Amino acid sequence: MTKRPNDAENEMPRITDYLWDRSGTPDPEIQRLESLLAEFRHVDRTLTLPAEIAAPARSARVQHFSWLPRLAAAAVLLLAVAIPFFLPSTRMPAPLAGPAWNIANIEGHPQIGAQLLSANQSAAKLYVGQTLTTNSSSRASLSENDLGEIQIDPDSRVRLLQSGPHHKRLQLDVGTIHAAIWAPPGQFVVDTPSAIAIDLGCAYTLQVAPDGSGTIRTTLGWVGFHLNGRDSFIPAGAMCSTRPKVGPSTPYFEDANAAFREALHNFDQADPSSDTAATALATVLAQARSRDGLTLWHLLSRTTGPARAQVYARFAALVPPPAGVTREGILQLDPHMLDLYWNALDLGDISTWRYWEQSSDPKSNPPSQLLPKKDLAPKKSQ
Amino acid sequence: MNPPVATPAASEDALVRAAQRGDRAAFGLLYARYARMVHGILLSRVPYSDVDDLVQDVFLQALPRLASLRDVSKFPGWLAAIARNRATDFHRRAKSLDELPTDVPDESAASAPAVPPNSHSRTEAHAALDAILSLPETYRETLILRLVEGMTGPEIAARTGLTHGSVRVNLHRGMQQLRELLGRKAASLTGGEL
Repeated sequence: MTKRPNDAENEMPRITDYLWDRSGTPDPEIQRLESLLAEFRHVDRTLTLPAEIAAPARSARVQHFSWLPRLAAAAVLLLAVAIPFFLPSTRMPAPLAGPAWNIANIEGHPQIGAQLLSANQSAAKLYVGQTLTTNSSSRASLSENDLGEIQIDPDSRVRLLQSGPHHKRLQLDVGTIHAAIWAPPGQFVVDTPSAIAIDLGCAYTLQVAPDGSGTIRTTLGWVGFHLNGRDSFIPAGAMCSTRPKVGPSTPYFEDANAAFREALHNFDQADPSSDTAATALATVLAQARSRDGLTLWHLLSRTTGPARAQVYARFAALVPPPAGVTREGILQLDPHMLDLYWNALDLGDISTWRYWEQSSDPKSNPPSQLLPKKDLAPKKSQ
Repeated sequence: MNPPVATPAASEDALVRAAQRGDRAAFGLLYARYARMVHGILLSRVPYSDVDDLVQDVFLQALPRLASLRDVSKFPGWLAAIARNRATDFHRRAKSLDELPTDVPDESAASAPAVPPNSHSRTEAHAALDAILSLPETYRETLILRLVEGMTGPEIAARTGLTHGSVRVNLHRGMQQLRELLGRKAASLTGGEL
């Protein structure tokens, strides 16, 4: 049998019993290391819990997702119309060799192409090039040892594009995924019809509506959202939407007040040179807290001329510019100064993002931006 | 009335569910069961002198987020991910005190233990830990859990959410590389060729 590289499951090296579970004949070198290293071992300490625990996240989640039933209903309706058009192309025989992710926690009958999966099915796998579809009564999760776990909600369609040692890529055409990623930052990417989501060490929920627009909410770490040179960084507690051909909107913390959020939405939707945009921007700046420096940092590169100067003035008042940053430099969008200013927000080190930019080709768009919809089905060549 | 679940004999899933409902005793038992794993994961990434405080941080970060964990059986991998992210965050915060680097830092260099080598055995212990920390990340985490924290292979698999196969491979390859590394160091000290 040919041994595949990096396939831990199939390799099963011979290992001494002592190294595995301390049974069998003791290995003197391992015993010596155990004895030497014992001084670094965990020593029990009392865990001091805070007097008050924050409200359970589940209730917060319900609040945040109160609009989900309506979105889900719309998705179900549109999918009911759309799925018959997609099924013929997903019946192509899929390649059953090469890298694959485990499928678990199956509820209902998700499909890989025309193949129906069921809850009692063991060792189900999604191979590179295959598409997993859930309907309104099914869900599943994907996992990969070195990556993490991705839960796929009902009415979703995901395709596994890549599963190399350092680059793993999914395509989410429609629906919702919840990702908990433990791979190093920058290694896991999700393509959506309107942006690429790059994991920067985190857990997040990504939703794509049938019209290709999307929303991301980060619960741990941060995520980069990218399209056509337009980037948004979304740290824990923040969210960001994205639209086809436009790309990521301006991210904001979900605890910002309603006037701020509404004005930001209006600003993102308006013609930047319009009175509507100017009015909305004025409200955003007036309502911003220092925590909303996240939003103001993004607005620096999304405004021009006097509007950018206004944003800078408010931003600098809320978050003092760090050493090495000048007003003139920021107004000219000096990349190094913008990076320094981002790091001053203490939301995630931007060098992680720059490293991802250098090691990939961020100028490329998600395939769904380049291909007509009918070409999204799995291809025999993959 | 629900029976009390926060007993040492309670199943992991039951403890996680109880902790999700706000049962502090259940959370305390989870801490007792998983502190070694979290300690080991952190020790493989951050200086030894900071590990204890970060272990507490990890559990305090996990507590308010626990209710959002849908599948309680995923608790081990979920907690391990928080620990790894906390280590990354530690380096980010430490780095923000310095000038912005031009590249991503060399994590293995940054995670050298801050233990004053004030005796021969401590120097040896320091050197052994140093050698493990110079190994690839996957191997050093598993080896630290085994050699420092004293967990067995099956325990490591159960606690981290890794498969037995992955743990077996990491232990085998990691130990092989560690033996080679320590052998080379010993040879250089006794004047042998590398």
